[in-house]
Amino acid sequence: MYSLVLLNGGIGSRVAAGQPKQFIHVNGLPIIVYSLVAADAVDEIDEIVLNYPEGWREDTEKLVIDYAVKTPVTYVVAGASRHESVSLMLPRCKNERVIVHETARPLVGADDFRRIVADPHDNVSFMLPIPFTVAPVEPESAKVTGWLDRGKLRNVQLPQKFRKADLIAAHEYAEREGVEFTEDATLVAVAGSEVYFLDGEDRNFKVTTPTDVRLAGFLLGGEDDDE
Amino acid sequence: MSKSLMVTGASKGIGAAAVERFFHTDNDVTDFILLARESQSFSDFLDKLSADNPHGKRVHPHFIDLADRARIVGLMKDVMSEHGKVDILLNNAGYTSPCAIQQVQFSDFERTIGVNLYAPFTIVQELLHSGNTFELIVNVASTAGMNGRPGWLTYSASKAALITMSEVMKDELAIYGTRVVCISPGRCATDLRKTLAPDEDPSTIMQPEHVAGVIEMLASDLGRFVDSRNLVVRM
Repeated sequence: MYSLVLLNGGIGSRVAAGQPKQFIHVNGLPIIVYSLVAADAVDEIDEIVLNYPEGWREDTEKLVIDYAVKTPVTYVVAGASRHESVSLMLPRCKNERVIVHETARPLVGADDFRRIVADPHDNVSFMLPIPFTVAPVEPESAKVTGWLDRGKLRNVQLPQKFRKADLIAAHEYAEREGVEFTEDATLVAVAGSEVYFLDGEDRNFKVTTPTDVRLAGFLLGGEDDDE
Repeated sequence: MSKSLMVTGASKGIGAAAVERFFHTDNDVTDFILLARESQSFSDFLDKLSADNPHGKRVHPHFIDLADRARIVGLMKDVMSEHGKVDILLNNAGYTSPCAIQQVQFSDFERTIGVNLYAPFTIVQELLHSGNTFELIVNVASTAGMNGRPGWLTYSASKAALITMSEVMKDELAIYGTRVVCISPGRCATDLRKTLAPDEDPSTIMQPEHVAGVIEMLASDLGRFVDSRNLVVRM
């Protein structure tokens, strides 16, 4: 069985409009609801560890109650950084295997969680091919320093799954080395564990700007079914 | 899989006709949770069902005035502890007392909104809060909710609100895979129609059984191919 580490933050402050960014509405529903309902439908997830911004526990709990989420939820206050949040949440997970997801990706579906659970590897992330060219540069001098083979690069998505021990070891490594990672798949790989990828869907994007909120709302409102 | 069907306003008219349709068919609907006010017609209908039950279906009647929101809240808790789920919900109960603007009693307007709008909302919200996942919700609105008619202010307003509420439910409950269907019958030979049009010969207009047939179709696999944002059912 899996514990879901559900990161309830990470949405750009530009979309928050004065309210905690975790509670913005996409297609009329609080953004957090989509991930909770999708995870709740997955039998292999028997625990959700959810973080909340300091001072917003009651509001977070009320959403979980209002949407009658059946999977037991453990609440953990958010850390100062994503790193710290994950480090605070991992010790609260009862299972040896964890799935990491973030509420800022409301287009995740129950089948995405099922697909990653079914993958035979221990540490797996959804990733996307990069359809555009990326250049390495020196920002200070505005100088292009070489080239990157996009065929060997991937856009990192969530959800991801890990052996809890590998993820904890990776976070200890980051602390020891004084390095910050913005997500866990590359961190776990750099820290020495094998990590694999599954091809994700481009619709499972992260909502970070007001345009993203509108795009996600459009996609969640139903596909265009006109001939 | 054994399914449960909850019907409001189940004692007569479209509600009773829909119950009979599902009850007398050999299908997977095994439990009938029937809500109506206590009345002779409800007793007669329940007797009729128990006298002719070829598929051994279970009937669970509940006497309730749907204007009583507190009782709905309590009853939904009882229903969930007794049955564990409601798969199909038919929000059919309707109330009207037609009169001109100057004659509308505010308490009567409140009762109309209470039965026609707040009751279906409360039933759905309470069952969702209890963790119920609906397969299908059918809300029975009316063509009177699409076009206002003089003398029908309270009824038309309540049904217009039910139509738009259904649209919201359809979109919001899509995350559970729930289908929400709204039908707007035109003239149909019910007691409510007699109140709205006392001089009309009911044998000349659409019968409750016809509307029940449409509801049965919407509940079938075929129903998912019908755009039922607001499906007009009329002769």
